[in-house]
Amino acid sequence: MTNDVIIHDVVIVGAGLAGTWAAMTAAQQGVKDVAVLSKLHPLRSHSGAAQGGIAAALNNVRPVAGTGPRGPLEQIPEGDELVDSWELHMFDTIKGSDWLGDQDKIEVMVKDAIDILYQYEHMGCVFSRTPDGRIAQRRFGGHSAPRANYSADRTGHVLLHTIHEQALKHGVKFYPEWYVMDLIIEDNSVRGVVTLEVLTGEIRTIRAKAVMFATGGYGRAFKITSNAFANTGDGVAIAYDAGAPLMDMEFVQFHPTGLYRHGILMSEACRGEGGYLINKDGDHFMKKYAPDKMELAPRDLVSRSEQTEINEGRGVMEDGQGIYLDLRHLGAEKIMKRLPQIRELAINFAGVDPIEEPIPIQPTAHYSMGGIPTDVDGQVIADAEGTPIVGFFAGGEVACVSVHGANRLGTNSLLEASVFGRRAGHAIARFIKGGAELLPLTGDPAERNRRIVAELMDGDGRENVEDIAQELKSTMTQNCGIYRNEAQLKKALNDVKALQERFKSARVMDRSKRFNTDVLAALETKHLLTFSEVIVAGALNRTESRGAHARTDYPKRDDEAWMKHTIAHKSEDGTPRLSYKEVTVFWDRFPPQERKY
Amino acid sequence: MSQNGSNNFVTVRIQRYNPEVDKKPRLQEYQVKLKAGMTVLDALHEIKTHHDGSVTFRRSCRHGICGSCAMNINGRNTLACETPLKDEVDSRGRVTIRPLPYLPVIKDLVVDRTTFWEQYLRVKPWLVPPDNIPEKEFRMSPEEVEALHSAETCIMCGACYSSCTVIGLNKRYIGPHALLKAFLRVLDPRDAAPGERLADIAGADGVYRCHTVFNCIDACPKGLNPTQAIETLRKLAQKRQKFEAARRERQQHLSEPISVK
Repeated sequence: MTNDVIIHDVVIVGAGLAGTWAAMTAAQQGVKDVAVLSKLHPLRSHSGAAQGGIAAALNNVRPVAGTGPRGPLEQIPEGDELVDSWELHMFDTIKGSDWLGDQDKIEVMVKDAIDILYQYEHMGCVFSRTPDGRIAQRRFGGHSAPRANYSADRTGHVLLHTIHEQALKHGVKFYPEWYVMDLIIEDNSVRGVVTLEVLTGEIRTIRAKAVMFATGGYGRAFKITSNAFANTGDGVAIAYDAGAPLMDMEFVQFHPTGLYRHGILMSEACRGEGGYLINKDGDHFMKKYAPDKMELAPRDLVSRSEQTEINEGRGVMEDGQGIYLDLRHLGAEKIMKRLPQIRELAINFAGVDPIEEPIPIQPTAHYSMGGIPTDVDGQVIADAEGTPIVGFFAGGEVACVSVHGANRLGTNSLLEASVFGRRAGHAIARFIKGGAELLPLTGDPAERNRRIVAELMDGDGRENVEDIAQELKSTMTQNCGIYRNEAQLKKALNDVKALQERFKSARVMDRSKRFNTDVLAALETKHLLTFSEVIVAGALNRTESRGAHARTDYPKRDDEAWMKHTIAHKSEDGTPRLSYKEVTVFWDRFPPQERKY
Repeated sequence: MSQNGSNNFVTVRIQRYNPEVDKKPRLQEYQVKLKAGMTVLDALHEIKTHHDGSVTFRRSCRHGICGSCAMNINGRNTLACETPLKDEVDSRGRVTIRPLPYLPVIKDLVVDRTTFWEQYLRVKPWLVPPDNIPEKEFRMSPEEVEALHSAETCIMCGACYSSCTVIGLNKRYIGPHALLKAFLRVLDPRDAAPGERLADIAGADGVYRCHTVFNCIDACPKGLNPTQAIETLRKLAQKRQKFEAARRERQQHLSEPISVK
């Protein structure tokens, strides 16, 4: 056992877009000692799985006049009238958020969007192009102009590789396959983290002046999900256990087109390029639910429409739990050029070539709107008043700024991770250069974490970790899914608490120290159980329907009572203590409206 | 194991090895019930979570984009998450899974990719931009971008690297993955250092080490062709100065619209 304490000025946990942007930017601003820890190799991060695009009002293309909402796009000739603006992007995002997004923060994101896209391009990111050589753009759900900037259907992949290369160029130190188990906050200021080095199994403390969490989302709490194995919400659970609040956790996005039974993503770009959703009768049912936008309505609305079709017996496949995504009319050339990965995935995983047959899909848990509350510079706040937790930053899906409110628009997540990652990098640099100090620690926080792992390995309980995880996912999907009501949520809460109890007797099978992924899976499952309670508690208390939170017993949005963010702190007895925070609204510019598409 | 002969069960043979405790690797068998649509990764997950938690492998995205789960399945390097289990079952009802070859084993199917990443770093994978940065994007034609797709799509899984017989003998060789990255940068009209890159990869550990055995093409789960990229780099290295001059000329016009024919 080693008791060596490692020290860095800045420790960033997570190496997707947000964490890597922050690291690269801080290094660029002259912070010498930036370390990025990831439980994976950085290039395995889930940002790389994003497909369809990244939003920014670049005004490179426009719809061909007179061809309607599904018509072709063309490049905007130099000097012609523009079709898009950051204001329009801002309004679309606010409406998409069902008026739960903070409007001042959304404004920051959509303005920064344009500049960060050009920065990506200047760093060598390989974007698809218009004939005259500008970045190509396509339509996306809930956006009223074609502003999804893309690289075929691998946009996240090219962005992730580009920013990782830049971080290497700037001398950022990476710790691949170092798992963070614990965050140390004393007297409202951050002291460091406790890590488990996967290769050796050594548990050590890393002390730092600043810590940033960029650990991604929490979709693995659900049975059908587009998320990677890694997306177990470690960051939200660890921060919550360490005393930081979580915000708006009840808002979980179900993406309308997960591959049937697998849940892996069939990009929204399929519909952006003109794909249809059809039920077992061959009806284009979206015209019933969103007469204007149809398939390109926001994700919450499309997923609910699909679920309604399924619940009313119009689903496809033998169990009736599927819907068809039909791309055949796009033709082979467009599919091969614009959606090559989608075609490959459909062939590999469903045995269906989308050129010939429709793809069976179903809604899939996809994106976590909730997370650790921050300001626009990634600074984590401790309460509704905005008191900062000194030295603690967060960005990307683990954070809740909030720009997505109750429902995120497609292509706004790559944007959020990039913009707020970069802003956090600047804020961290200001913090370090402003004379931040390395603060002392009380006791040996590594020791209590060693005991947790020892108990998992050597205790005498007999509970199987995977069984607990599967039961959790079942109840979260059945009782806290696309539609929810009081009885279901109470059931989910009881189930989660019972599973938390059972987890106390959980034991791993692998007793070795070296590369013990069995222990990691157990720690991840503990995290799922921790934050799932917060999701359910928030959902139970929120007696309205807004964005992705759809209560069958409270089907209407209630702005009077509920236009506010849920804030959850872990109380003494371990249960979430809920309070609420006002949404920032520019009443003169974007007052709440009925949300129709 | 009476289930062995049954159509519903597959014998999954996994190479087990923990260098801290084992003298040498061994194959261990597990019986897995074959379910519809099951991938090799699903089978490994089933084994790990319910048969033997000590079986160790990497995985994350489960749809062929993160590159974690490259391994050797029935003698072929590929991604476990994209490989249907039923397609791999031999006439005796068996599937054999080993770690990627030519690399040190950390534990079971987990290999040490240190040299792989060192070579990636060696080619300086980042873009070296020209001096004049436009206010908006650099202009590139769809054709120029098309040429980059044959390299940009690489997920750095290591299937090619550990199928390469040259790597098997000589870890100083830059390797197909890093040469493909070099190809991406050399071909990118925005890159201002193609000459230095070509000089480096034309050295002793570079493109001339490739024996054109084509293993990398067979191994690539993304259908890429590193051998062809290496061939292209060899040709460009031979006319390096001309290529550099052409690049300098192209970079005079990077802010101008591509003229549409």
